[in-house]
Amino acid sequence: MLSYIIRRLIIIIPMALLVVTLTWGLIRMAPGSFYSGEKKLPAAIEANIKKKYGLDKPVYQQYLIMLGNIARGDFGDSLKYEGQSVNEIIRRHFPYSATIGIFAYLLALLIGLTAGIIAALKQNTAADYGSMSLAMLGLSVPNFVLGPILVLIFSLWLYWFPPARTGGVLSYVLPVITLAAIYAAYIARLTRAGMLEVMRSDYIRTARAKGLSELTVLLKHAVRGGLIPVVSFTGPALAALLAGTVVVERVFAIPGLGNIFIQSVLNRDEPLILGIVAFLSILIMIFNLLVDISYAFLDPRIRYE
Amino acid sequence: MARISFIQVRTIFTLFILSSFLISCASSADSRFWGKTQPPKDNILRYISGSEPESLDPHVSTGQPEARVYLALYEGLVEFHPKTMEAIPGIAESWETSADGTEYLFHLRKNAKFSNGDPIRAQDFLFSIRRALSPEIAAKGADLAYYIKYAEAYNQAGVFVKDSQTGNFLLKKDFADEEKDKAALETAVQPVENLEGASETHKFLDAPERLVLKGDEKARAKELEADANLKAAVAGKEFVPVTAENLGIEAVDDYTFRIKMRQPAPYFLGLLTHQLFRVLHPPTIEKFGKAWARPENIVTSGAFKVAVHKPYDELIVVKDPNYWDAENVKLDGIEFYPLEEATTMMNLYKAGSVDAIYNHTTPASWVEEAKKYKDEYLNLPEVAIEFYSFKVKQPPFDDLKVRQAFSLAINREALAEFRRTVKPLYDFTPEGIFPKYEEARQKVQAETRQEKNISQEEWDAGRRFNPEKARQLLAEAGYTVQKNGNSFSCPSFPVEKAVINYNTAESNKAIAEFVQAQWRQNLGITLPLKNMEWKTFLDFRNKVQYDGIVRHAWVGDYMDPFTFLNLHYSPQNQGATGWTDLKFDRMLDEANKTVDEAKRFEMLARAEQYLMDQQLFIPLMTQGTNWMKKPYVKGMYPNPGTLHPWKFVRIERDPVKWDTDVDNIMKVPDAAVDEQVSRLQSSQKTLNTTQ
Repeated sequence: MLSYIIRRLIIIIPMALLVVTLTWGLIRMAPGSFYSGEKKLPAAIEANIKKKYGLDKPVYQQYLIMLGNIARGDFGDSLKYEGQSVNEIIRRHFPYSATIGIFAYLLALLIGLTAGIIAALKQNTAADYGSMSLAMLGLSVPNFVLGPILVLIFSLWLYWFPPARTGGVLSYVLPVITLAAIYAAYIARLTRAGMLEVMRSDYIRTARAKGLSELTVLLKHAVRGGLIPVVSFTGPALAALLAGTVVVERVFAIPGLGNIFIQSVLNRDEPLILGIVAFLSILIMIFNLLVDISYAFLDPRIRYE
Repeated sequence: MARISFIQVRTIFTLFILSSFLISCASSADSRFWGKTQPPKDNILRYISGSEPESLDPHVSTGQPEARVYLALYEGLVEFHPKTMEAIPGIAESWETSADGTEYLFHLRKNAKFSNGDPIRAQDFLFSIRRALSPEIAAKGADLAYYIKYAEAYNQAGVFVKDSQTGNFLLKKDFADEEKDKAALETAVQPVENLEGASETHKFLDAPERLVLKGDEKARAKELEADANLKAAVAGKEFVPVTAENLGIEAVDDYTFRIKMRQPAPYFLGLLTHQLFRVLHPPTIEKFGKAWARPENIVTSGAFKVAVHKPYDELIVVKDPNYWDAENVKLDGIEFYPLEEATTMMNLYKAGSVDAIYNHTTPASWVEEAKKYKDEYLNLPEVAIEFYSFKVKQPPFDDLKVRQAFSLAINREALAEFRRTVKPLYDFTPEGIFPKYEEARQKVQAETRQEKNISQEEWDAGRRFNPEKARQLLAEAGYTVQKNGNSFSCPSFPVEKAVINYNTAESNKAIAEFVQAQWRQNLGITLPLKNMEWKTFLDFRNKVQYDGIVRHAWVGDYMDPFTFLNLHYSPQNQGATGWTDLKFDRMLDEANKTVDEAKRFEMLARAEQYLMDQQLFIPLMTQGTNWMKKPYVKGMYPNPGTLHPWKFVRIERDPVKWDTDVDNIMKVPDAAVDEQVSRLQSSQKTLNTTQ
């Protein structure tokens, strides 16, 4: 088990470098540059800018310099935000996304698991249809619609929560709900499907035959097996939630990493794009590893050598 | 994940439509104000300022979102008039201009201080402008300062050519290869009457302009290869780099600052309000290098200073007690919120969480609703236009008649009605922005009518919506338009070479589709539409790689029609049409040499007329300011650039004194603001009368 984890961790480094290199190539292929604007720059000013940022060097040299910097864990300074380092920008904005992401994740789990388990246990009853219809609604209403509707009701009619911007606990309520809705719906459906399958399996029948109470059967045996699809979904989902989502961040004016990532691409801010891509790819690989490890605990049949 | 986000970015615009529907259901038209309308507890204005500022260093960015913030943090020699945006005294309390218009002498006020208490002196301006022009700083807006003598040479790391034997430098006028250059040089740099002082620097600056070659050896070799005369003259001579000390600026004494220009530029004073020319604190920059503008290091020169900066969240500035005019600064502070999502802005505005928003922010679908709030919605003409450029070097638009036909076939009145916030435009400079220039333009147009002996109606018929004439012109150009019942068709027109290109945005798409429909309806030609992501689009447009037609928008850099006409001036060639014309360039040069304003405007208007006759582009509209502020915010005007000198702004707590019917806000006197402006202007007026 331990050697498996170490092997997986070692692979993360070359994978991240590969991702960064590919991204770098794509940025270089994209037309336009970080300094272009409505006004066409005189050639001499463009030359000054290129010199200032080392863009007048041969491309292979620029690539090696970039790799060298990354090897030292330093992505350099943002091209768009003069005097701010990429590391500093990620450090400053990731916590906003992560806070909302974690709460949204917990809320989604709470609602999703409860609804899913109830629906599975009371299959084909009003409770089942009701919670699954809600889940369907959660899946079909995109967050850029849900967000404004929540703002309209709770901020502009009822004045309960601020319509946007962070500041105080109340300001997190609407974005967390908006972000959690779709994940809660997914989790509810996955839980229901997983639980239904497990409840019909032989080992549950065995557990019941042993005379265990229905609650023990459910919590000790069924949930563990029934949750495997949920876990394989929520691992990457948690990574995505932490990384921030551009829509919720824009609608609620949250200074999170998701919006900054999109802006960095639109701005052609190469160091910032590379930094965020590297950071997110490592984050996602680690969460995938955690998911794989958790399988071993949930399903006794899975063993890693 | 990234892929999903991109789709979301695109679909986010759907949000506007949806929420506009919801909001219009929700709002009650009978209430006088839009949403919660209550002055904030503290005397602090909450303003949405657009995207996150690139930097608090005003030399770095040329953007509007930054300009809004820099106006609070930095002051220059001159400052914007809050209503007209003309230059009024800032740190300079007065100035003199030489008779030929190439030299300015500024008299600085003696009580101006930086936010750390250091006095602001002429040497600080010297440092700041040298820095703005240094190649190492690579300021994007450096070309705005190229009117200063040797500024372009220094910024481009050029070299003078020195004869080591005689110690003399080669002069530019001896190598002017075109008549045009020669004429310009002869009149431009004649030392006329000297403004006070005759220092070594001043003598150097008054001397005839030296020849400047490229600093880079390879580039210089190329330059010399192209001109045999020049190559012969330069042989054996020494190349001396142009340094910051050569720039046409001088600190005559602590409180007198001189600017020497390479050519007269009557709009230069207005240009000095630009962020590039605002004064910075030299010791801070020397000490911290590129980290000087971080909140913990920054020292500023404006009415406000930085208190808190949380990027992408808020920038809080507070009134600076060291500011020379602090007693007349009415706000205790400003909170700038960097936001770009229009729906979010409207939500914050309705919830009473912000007091004012920057321009172009009321989404098109909300404008009708917003207009009902007459005390809050501000839409006046802006110093900004939108136009479609033709690729004039490639068929079918290499034919003037085709270009004219396409221009005549757009009903711009209908377009303006459709867009709601704009005004139709038939010339290249915006309507309703430069009243004196527009008078001159009308005069020139009347003269042209007289010369051509045509009536006003005929004149309009040749410029405005005239589908019949458009079809006739197309036929003359070889593309016959057939009439089939109620519709037209023009099968011979090569639509694949006449694409309408624009950058991806809901509003651009709406306009492109409207124009496309007009041409289909009136000419029977359906041009393909092509949209591109912003930076991709810019690359494509700047290299003139498009086929057919490309969207263009321009916001004036300063309050003079030249900021628009300059787009088609060959050395700039911003028009992206592929067109250059020395005659047009010469007309502009001649006009700018003219010091008399009325005469100069007439000459510019003639140049504009000449430009319009080429029909390189279709002017579509003068933009509108289109923004909202709460009625209790006073001293904030929908001026042509929506840039607010913040020291005039105040929060009024007595509802009786709130702004009402803001369509007339420019005409309604506000004693507090008017008195403040006239007090500032008085020092300059006094000087003018004593002269």
